Formats: sequence, C-alpha cells, structure tokens
Amino acid sequence: MNKIKTRTTSPVGKSVPRIDAREKAAGEARYAFDLKLPGMLAGKMLRSPHAHAKIIKIDTSKAEKFPGVKAVVTAEDTLKIKFGSNEYFFPHTVDQLALESEKVRYIGDEIAAVAAIDEATAQKALSLIDVRYEILPAVFDPLVAMKPGAPQIHTAMNNIGVMLPLAYGNPDRALAESDYVREDVFHLQSAAHCALEPHVSLGQYEISTDRITLWTSTQAPFKVREALAKTLKMEVGDVRVIKLNVGGGFGGKLEMFPMDFAACLLSKKSGGFPVKIMCTRPEEFSFTRRKHPMIYKLKSGVKKDGTLMAITGEVIADGGAYCSYGPTVLAAAILRIFMVYKIQHFRVAGFRVYTNNPISGAIRGFGGVQSGFAVESHMDLLARGIGMDPIEFRLKNATDPNTVTVNKLILSSNGLKDCIKKVEEICGWKNKFNKRKAVSRGIGIGIAADVMGSKMYKSHESAGSVIKVEEDGSVYLFTGAADTGQGSDTALAQIAAQELGVAYERIRIRAADTEITPFDTGSFASRVTFISGNATKNAAGDAKQQILEVVARECKINKDDLDIKDEQVVRKDSNSLVMTFDQAIQLCYSFNYGHLLIGRGSYNPKTTPVDFRTGEGNVSGSYGFEAQVVEVEVDKSTGQVKVLKMYDVHDIGFPINPSSVEGQIEGSIVMGLGYTFHEDLRFQDGKVLNPSFSKYRIPRSTDIPAIESVFVVTNDPQGPFGAKGMGEASLLPTAAAIANAIEDAIGVRIKDLPITPEKILKGLKAL
Amino acid sequence: MKKITLEVNGKPYALECPDSELLIETLRDRLGLLGTKYSCLEGECGACTVLLNGENILSCLALSVEADNAEITTIEGLAKGSEPHPLQRSFVDKGAVQCGFCTPGMILAGKALLDKNPHPTDDEIARGLDGNLCRCTGYIKIIDAVRHASKK
Repeated sequence: MNKIKTRTTSPVGKSVPRIDAREKAAGEARYAFDLKLPGMLAGKMLRSPHAHAKIIKIDTSKAEKFPGVKAVVTAEDTLKIKFGSNEYFFPHTVDQLALESEKVRYIGDEIAAVAAIDEATAQKALSLIDVRYEILPAVFDPLVAMKPGAPQIHTAMNNIGVMLPLAYGNPDRALAESDYVREDVFHLQSAAHCALEPHVSLGQYEISTDRITLWTSTQAPFKVREALAKTLKMEVGDVRVIKLNVGGGFGGKLEMFPMDFAACLLSKKSGGFPVKIMCTRPEEFSFTRRKHPMIYKLKSGVKKDGTLMAITGEVIADGGAYCSYGPTVLAAAILRIFMVYKIQHFRVAGFRVYTNNPISGAIRGFGGVQSGFAVESHMDLLARGIGMDPIEFRLKNATDPNTVTVNKLILSSNGLKDCIKKVEEICGWKNKFNKRKAVSRGIGIGIAADVMGSKMYKSHESAGSVIKVEEDGSVYLFTGAADTGQGSDTALAQIAAQELGVAYERIRIRAADTEITPFDTGSFASRVTFISGNATKNAAGDAKQQILEVVARECKINKDDLDIKDEQVVRKDSNSLVMTFDQAIQLCYSFNYGHLLIGRGSYNPKTTPVDFRTGEGNVSGSYGFEAQVVEVEVDKSTGQVKVLKMYDVHDIGFPINPSSVEGQIEGSIVMGLGYTFHEDLRFQDGKVLNPSFSKYRIPRSTDIPAIESVFVVTNDPQGPFGAKGMGEASLLPTAAAIANAIEDAIGVRIKDLPITPEKILKGLKAL
Repeated sequence: MKKITLEVNGKPYALECPDSELLIETLRDRLGLLGTKYSCLEGECGACTVLLNGENILSCLALSVEADNAEITTIEGLAKGSEPHPLQRSFVDKGAVQCGFCTPGMILAGKALLDKNPHPTDDEIARGLDGNLCRCTGYIKIIDAVRHASKK
C-alpha cells in the first residue's frame, strides 16, 4: 500500500473525493455506451408508428434476406411472457410484452428488432419489415379514457389499471367540524429524465453453455436479470447482468426494457454475436419512460387555530400504455403525505389510467414531485385562508419523531420541525414574508419527506456486501449496489473504511455484476446509503472481527478489548497501539494463522408488511425530511419570475460525505427548478412534440440561483453511522415553494405547472 | 473519401475519411478516444466538446475532413502522464463529478474559457459552460471547480 499518498482515516463525515472521480475526469471511465466487443453487431428496434392498432401481419422475409443482416426477431421468436415492475404487490399490472404481436398501444411499442453488421444496414433492414396494422380508435386523455365506451387499451375496466381508494378515520365528520374548508385542483405535466448517457443494451449469448451476458446502463442490474430470466424463460443463474459506470438514471433506468431483451435474443438468433442497441436522443424522449402527468384534487379542512382536520381528494394519473412502476408511483404520490403531516382523517382515491400515450414510470421523486406541488400549495392556501403564517401552520401540523402514523408508518428519527425552524431562521422569514409586494418580491416555503428504502419490489429488500482484505492490506469491497452517478460507491467505500478502521484510499470497489457481487435491488427510493450502507458496514465489521481474533490470539488479549482505528489495532480502554493494521494483516496471512480475510454482511430494513389495498404498513426502515424556502422577484410587465435565492434544510441523519450530499441536494433542486419553470414533455395524439434538448429545455449553467444548504443531523438509530438516504427529497417541495413565493410577491396563485410568463400575466390580469 | 492529417493530443494521424464522417466518429471509432462522449448528436448537449486549434467545438457537428491539418485536444490529452491537469484535479477535489458523462466536455469547455480568460467571474464561467448540459450536479460545484482552477 505504498502507492497511497493521502491517507484519510475515519473518513465518514469527510468530503473525500469520489472514488470514481479521477477516472471520470481523465476520460478513462467506461460506460456501456463505450463498449465494443469483437464481432459486435448493431441492433435496432422496430416500433409502432400508431398509437393504437391491431397487428394484422408482420413479414420479416425481405429484411432477413438483406445483405449484412444477421438476425431479425419478432414475438414469434419469444415465449410471449409478460413483464412488469410491481409484480410482487400488484400482480395484475404485469402487462407488457418485450415484443408485441397482436396489438400496439402507443407510438413506440416494440414489434421487432434487427441485428446487422452496421447501423446503416440495421436501419435499412427495419424499413424492409412489412407490418400491416388495423388502426383502432385511440384515447389520450385519462378523463376520457375512464368514461364508459372509451377505447379499451387492456382488459382493465374503464382503463383504470390501478385504483387505490385510501381512507382513514372519519373525513366527512372532520370536514364538517372544520372552521375553514377549501378545494383546489392542480395539474402536473409530464417530464423526461434526461440522463446524459442514453439507454444502451449489449447482449451476448453463449451457445455452448446456454447463458446470456447483458451489459446495460441500468440502476437495477438484479431486477433486469430477474425480468430477463423470466421473459426468456432461463434460469436466473444463466443470466448475467453487468453495470459499468452509468451516465445518470433518475428513475429512467430502473427496469428491463424491450431493447435489453432484444439485444439478448438477437445475439442468440445470430449465433452468439454480441449485439448492441442504443437509444438516440429522440428515442430517449419518446420511447423510454416519462413522468406521470397528474390531476391532483384536494379538499381539506382546518380549525381556526390551524389544526389540520381532514384531507380528502382524488388523484388521476395518465399512465400511458403500460403499468411499469405506476402502481407504486401512485401509492407514493398519495401516502407520502403521512410522513409530513399529522393527520387522522383522510380519504384520497387514486386512479392510474391507461391511455395511448408513452409509458409513465418512475422518475426521481417517485410521484412525490407531483404530490409535493399539490399538497404544499394546498397547505399554503389553507394557512392563508385562516390568516396564519405558512411556517407556523406547518410547525403546528408537521409530524414528530418516534410516532406512528394513522397508516402505521413508524417515524423514528424525524427532524422535520427542526428543518422548518432552521430554514425559517436562515432565510430571515419574519422580515420578508408578506412584506415586499410593493417591489414584487416574495418568499415561500415547502416541506417534504421521503422513504429511505421502501419495500416495494419483492418480499425482502436486502442488500449484501463482501469485503476482501488482501495480503498487502488492500481492501476490496464487492457490492451489488448500483452507483449511477449519485456517489453511492464512494459512500459505501467510506463506510467500509470507517468500520474496518482503515484509510478510505485503501478501498477498491467492484459493484453491480450479478454473477460476482452480492444481491442488491438497485438504486431507487433513496435506499442505497441506508440499506447497502448497512450491509457494507456489517461486512466490514465481520472482516474486522476476523483480524482482531488473530491479533487477540497472538497477543493473548481478549478480542473484545481490541479495536481497529485509524489504521492501528488498539486497546479499546487506553487507545494504546497493539500493532499497525499492516502488521495485523501480515499476521493473519502468516505461517501460523493463514487466515484469509473475507468479511460478509447483509441488511434487510426493519419494516412491516404493507397492504396496498388499505395503504397500511411501515414501508421503510427510516424516513428523511426536508424544508425549503425560495425567494423570488416577479417582473410584472413580462411575467418573468427570477429566483433570487433558495434555502434548503435537510434531515439526512448524518452526512457520510458532505460534499456528495450537497451535490445531490443541488442537483435535486435544479431539477425541481427545471420542472417548475420549463420542463414540459408535450404530446399530440400520442406523439411527443419536443423530443430534443433544444425543444425540451433542462436547466443550464446560467440558470442557477444561489442555494444555501444546511443539514439537520438526527443520527438515525438504524442508519449506518446515523445516515439516511437523501437523493430525492430536495426536489419535492421546490415547485410549491416557488408558487407560494409568487403569491407572496404578486398575489397570483399558479396551480398548473410549469409556471410560465403567460400564466403569470394571465393571473395578474385576473386580479 | 479524402486523405487528411490530424494532430490529436500531440500525435499526428494520417487518415482516409469519408466526406460524411463526423469528427466524433473519427475520435471514438477510429482512434479509440472514448473519453469524448455524446448525448444527442444534434449539437445541443456539449458532451462531445473537444478543442480544435484551442477553440471548444462540438465534435458531433464537425466533419473530420473539415478538421484537416487541425490540432485537436480531447480529454485524454490534458493530463501529463498520471499527473492530472489543474482543471481535472479541481473537478475531482470540488465534487464536480457525479455520473461523469458530461465531465470531459465540461472540463474542455472550462479549459477553452480559462485559456482566453484566466480569471473569470462566476457569471463568465456560467456563460462559458452554457453549452454543456449536466443533469446531476446543478452546476454549482462545476462552476466552483472552474473558479478554483482559475486561481491556480
């Protein structure tokens, strides 16, 4: 270990450079995007040009004969096994075939795939596939799709793919007992993930062993493996999914895609040539996944003193052609409110409706961005309705630590009220709120909470880690966790180093290869630091105990009296040096002991079973909390809103890597700003109208306001070194905080996103 | 087809290029310089930024035949052996790298800026990077990294 120049001991809580940053900054980091294998073929997907049609005939004969074409696949080459993303909790929503043969349900539905010697040949071959359709009437508006007589997309009655009627207490009585009741309707638009690395699939079939390897840009290699094995009817163990560096995910790379399936099947049919399929940017926007557009209706009542009595309402989500993660997105969009507000009387019915639009799925925030805007705008309006300060209102109704909600969420560490108080302090709320209409300046707040690893994928939510300490003292961490740029590999390496008692720089990480690394469900639900972090801590602890056992025997000291700290084996009581870490490792690998050091650990969060029919159950091992304040200035002549400053206070448990945490918070907020002001994936007759970065504008370097970010440390009792996840919550309150600030500035209330100058001007006119 | 010569990261190349070949294709597919990424191939994301005679250009909008006789610098050409360029170092140290897909283009755009304007204001840095999209960081730490490198 002499190569190491810097030795960062006790790295937890320190902003060490990311473990993969050097190779990324050097241009050496490799992504699935970059991979080339000998004999590799170019693959292309044939997609439906129609929003809704019966497939009468698919003739691939001309394409198959075209020179340079190695394989063409259609549904006839498959076992027609459906897949879906919420199979465990919502088996009826498993509704998609990798290749459709009878019917297409959106513009982009996959019908066939081609592999050829180069892209141009593959593209030409696609045009030679003759598909005859019988066009069916299509429906694009969820409210129309729910009406009797609307075109039937699947077999679900009234096209309602998922229905969640959730109710607790006696909301009607509580509304009647309220002093002030109001009803608001909010409209939330669709949005795109815009990860810079497109979806990429590189499949290779090995004929002699009947095995498949897939390199794919994914957030969840083990889920992809499961879906591939199911749809290809292979043993799970015969499918290997490898994740390399991933150029962003944001929820858009959380499931198997038909191109993953097709790359593997084409490789098989071509006789084992590797096949690479890559999405173009327009395909990314049009045919992967998108944010659920939602209509969020809320009717709630409060007492004069600000006590929130009841929340009722209805959520209608445009699900598009297939369910994907829709069921749990809808559930999260509704149930999240219980993490934020103490509420006993509740009735909200959620409907996720099939339409012939592209597929709605998971995207950072997981329904919480939509509900965050609706709920936090509505709460502000309730507070204003009774003449109460919005912060006072939230402090009165926010959840407390160590409480159980009406739907049985167990909120242990909970710094929500501390977040609210802190943000009030740092933004100077009292001197600013409702004081600067004359200069069209306003201030607004939004609060939020999020799960830190929810059980929504399968019966367990376990993750595992293995730690290997080599003869020279280098430490390898094997984890199934999938870093997609959020920094989890770094956080896990810090946790491993801290628990093992060595420098961060000793750790090397090998992650997310289903054949080599332990199981992990993937990067979603802000789960990795909490769940994979605990698994890694356990693995490092196991390795440490093995080392201490050898040292204890050699030195004839009780093992429990020893510890490893800062690269030294020490006596716990006196902190006196027994031997260095390197000496201890030499001892372990010596003639007398010959002890190979392999530590293992796993972790399954402590939750209770969730019944999605009632919405009851403790879905997550811990919860994170958040309060955000925005200051804006509105130009009344143009309708332009300028964000002057943002203040974000986040209960993250404990920051494993403060710089990384800030980076996640800043990235979340900026993504939230994009959705608030201009990100709007638009559709006409099921076709995406703006599938490019020039027409779908994401925030640029010149759009960024000052952001002041403060952590509230609550040291979660279950979290590794007190840490909780935090990759999503800062995105949830942003849009509402801005809408609330705009009302404070100019008296205009915007209930439909995005907030455009036209809407501001229209609102000013109507005052 | 045209015979061209390029000097890429200080090494001369004599190539025969189809007229329609994009510079990004030459760099990635022929020269194996995979550090240069692309995200849109439409000139909108900046991930394919390289330096051509010191200017930052989008290699997905440039034809290789038009780059005949040019000096090109890609991300691989910045470090001296294992010693990173100050911008690469500050991107690492300041937490400006998340998924890393925009990073090579972002660093080269930063270099083009600092070569012209060694002590930019934050606004000038933001404007200099305006053509390079990042979806992870919110740009704050990227601007911080460029500012930090400018002080070196």
